[in-house]
Amino acid sequence: MTGKTILIIDDDRHLLLGLAARLKGSGYKVVCAKDGTAGITLARQEGPDLVILDLGMPGDDGFLVLERMREVACLSAIPVIVLTARAPADNEKRALDGGAVAFFQKPTSNHQFLTAIRQTLGETTALSTFVRT
Amino acid sequence: MTSEALGHARTKQQRPSVFPITSLHDGHLGSESNDIELSPRMRADLLDLDAWGAILTTFGQTMRVAVALTDSAGHVLGKCHNAQPVWSLVHEAAHDWTGCPFCISKDIPCTAVAEALRAGAVIRVRDEAGLTHVAVPLLLGNQQLGAIIAGQVFDRYPDSLLLQRAAKKFGVSSEQLWDLSRKQRPVSSAVLQASADLLCALGKAFLQQRYGAILEASLADANGRFRLLVDSVREHALFTIDTTGIVTSWNAGAERMFGYVEAEIVGQNFSCIFTPEDIHNQVPEKQLNKASQSGRVEDEGWRIRGNKKQFWADVNITSLLDDAGPIRGFAIIVHDVTERRKLVTVMEEARQERARVQERLLSHVSHELRTPLAAIYLFTTNVLDGLLGDLNSEQHEHLTLAVDNVNQLKSMVGDLLDITRVETHKLTVEPQQVFLAKLLTDVINTCKTNASSKKISLHSDGAFDLPLAWADPARLRQILINLIDNGIKFTPEGGTVTVQSRPLAEDDNFLCISVSDTGCGISPEDCEIVFERLAQVNNGTQASRSGLGLGLFISRDLVSRQGGRIWVESELGQGSTFYLTLPVFSLARLCAHIFTAANLEARFVTLIAVDVVWVGGAVQADIVREIRKILERCIHLGEDMILPPLSDAEPVETFFIIACTDVNGFSVIAKRISRELQNFDNTSRLKPVISSTTLLVAPDQSRDEQIGGVMETIEGLIRKHLMNKKKLK
Repeated sequence: MTGKTILIIDDDRHLLLGLAARLKGSGYKVVCAKDGTAGITLARQEGPDLVILDLGMPGDDGFLVLERMREVACLSAIPVIVLTARAPADNEKRALDGGAVAFFQKPTSNHQFLTAIRQTLGETTALSTFVRT
Repeated sequence: MTSEALGHARTKQQRPSVFPITSLHDGHLGSESNDIELSPRMRADLLDLDAWGAILTTFGQTMRVAVALTDSAGHVLGKCHNAQPVWSLVHEAAHDWTGCPFCISKDIPCTAVAEALRAGAVIRVRDEAGLTHVAVPLLLGNQQLGAIIAGQVFDRYPDSLLLQRAAKKFGVSSEQLWDLSRKQRPVSSAVLQASADLLCALGKAFLQQRYGAILEASLADANGRFRLLVDSVREHALFTIDTTGIVTSWNAGAERMFGYVEAEIVGQNFSCIFTPEDIHNQVPEKQLNKASQSGRVEDEGWRIRGNKKQFWADVNITSLLDDAGPIRGFAIIVHDVTERRKLVTVMEEARQERARVQERLLSHVSHELRTPLAAIYLFTTNVLDGLLGDLNSEQHEHLTLAVDNVNQLKSMVGDLLDITRVETHKLTVEPQQVFLAKLLTDVINTCKTNASSKKISLHSDGAFDLPLAWADPARLRQILINLIDNGIKFTPEGGTVTVQSRPLAEDDNFLCISVSDTGCGISPEDCEIVFERLAQVNNGTQASRSGLGLGLFISRDLVSRQGGRIWVESELGQGSTFYLTLPVFSLARLCAHIFTAANLEARFVTLIAVDVVWVGGAVQADIVREIRKILERCIHLGEDMILPPLSDAEPVETFFIIACTDVNGFSVIAKRISRELQNFDNTSRLKPVISSTTLLVAPDQSRDEQIGGVMETIEGLIRKHLMNKKKLK
């Protein structure tokens, strides 16, 4: 059990439920937000070690959240992994340029996703680019 | 009867030739008289009796001889002056023997005409009465037109057989006829022969003159008709210009299209129909140059009317040539296709809009499908992995099947979007150097779960000694996973799926990867269509139910975009083997521009390796891109080059540079790179290690050998460097 906190920002409550269960099962503390605004607020309150961010959300979308996080000093250092249903072709570069450390398209394999989380949190030493699915 | 060619040297070679006809464009009528070809109508025109009548009558009267004109077969076309009394004796049948074969003696065909034409000279014939007749050939170039026959009217002897016969014929006494003939002072045989020469020259000259006149008339007629035709064309502008671009003719269509009347535009330069930009860019001159060289230019573009309005024109410029002579000018045909262009643009826009709508729709559908899929996947895997408590074996099995189905749906959703991209040509392929062995191992590992769940043995062999491939690793992975999954899908439990790779036997510039299965196989007719869109081979098995039938269609597009090809060999019940080829990565081809003779002369090539480690996390894609840009700034692009990234080379952040420099040059480059990277990352999270090997180019080898040697060494060094890095890890 690492005890690290992961914040998931996604408007799909089923995904929040399923992913939270998966991450809790892997030993993380999980907090969830259903939209961008709530996500930023929660990030300020909880100071998570990692944010998993959806791109397409009502209100502030994922890109805007990324932007806000870079602007706020206490949030700017938190790594963000993007997990979205959108195609990488149109969004991956924009997300990485916006400060995300990795990009995954839904649905993604648990193994690869968890490996990326561990690497980002510095829990493994492997240096390899993430394989997207 | 005797006949002989007249004495003076009048051979074929010395025949004066017809005057040269250079102003005619008719291919049959060259300047060489021998090339002349005549139509039947022209032949008739040339021997028209009305035209010849005057000259023949004058000759007959002056020389006091009988004269007749025949065609080349010896048939009489007409006769003048004394011909009737002389030759009618042998043509008793009719007063008018026009059209009959010409005869001198009764019932004996006269061969003089044919002989004269063959010899090209005057032929003399003496008849049984002792009278002389001459056949004068009428030749135009190599064409035998006919002959003029001239004959002595009467002999000088009153008791001649001819006179007696003639007297009898006309019902007078031979004395009376003699008196008559004395009055006419008949010529001697010698005079006739001499005058025949004159007649020969006269006939030739007259023929040529007539020929010229006829041609001129027919040309004028043709020109007139052509002009009429040209002017009746209203939809196209037809005009001619000279070699300098000055307008020389202008039809009614051109008048209508451009708004200039013929009188005002002829003599002006045709550049006035071009846009100012085109004139500035010397487009008119360039087009004429091109038309001069290739004989023809086709162009589509804006042209200007007299009222300064633009229209979209389809232009055709053809050079006007004499036979092998210099260009006389150009004929230009212009068609106003503004409306067609509008239509094409509208249709193209509609097509693109439709493709955009389709892509938006599919992209939306795919997005909407992926969200619930992700949730289903998470819930089922959570339960399957025991996060919510233990499962019995049946529950486990059912959930495993559910996850399989989710994965299948997932790949179908991916195909849906790819298929639109195939159709809008937006499927991207970014080739780089690929270690097939590594990639195949990854792919096999990915597919292993699927294979083992069906108790199918999946393995690969052969990839380890292969040269690097030139391919897009992500796309290659997609293609191979598709082929292997297909193999697994159509192979019954306990079967085998084998992936092999080797150099292509027929062409070692390509690698060949094959995926074989021991499944149901594909019939020959289905082998033809499996790569078509939405092909679903109906083999009655459950397996064909899954998938959209798009995988192979997309694979084919992806393979061909990477420069390879894909095909299948199969037999029903015997399993199938899918083959795909990929180009071998060739450093030599990639670096060809670097190894110029001058660079090889300098004899140094240095391989620089820049290993970059990002402290505190994985190197991010954008940092890799940024570093690449920095390196590009530090070398002489064009002379030196950074090799494309190695797929899955670990660590990925090793950049290889081939520089045309030596040890000293390298130290300069290395310092520059360190400084620039430091500027980029002043927090020192970036740890670059720069190393190099300088290669000596053997001076006594050919250029190809030199390049080959250098490439081999470089490839060896890269491999060794990466191996060492791996070991260090």
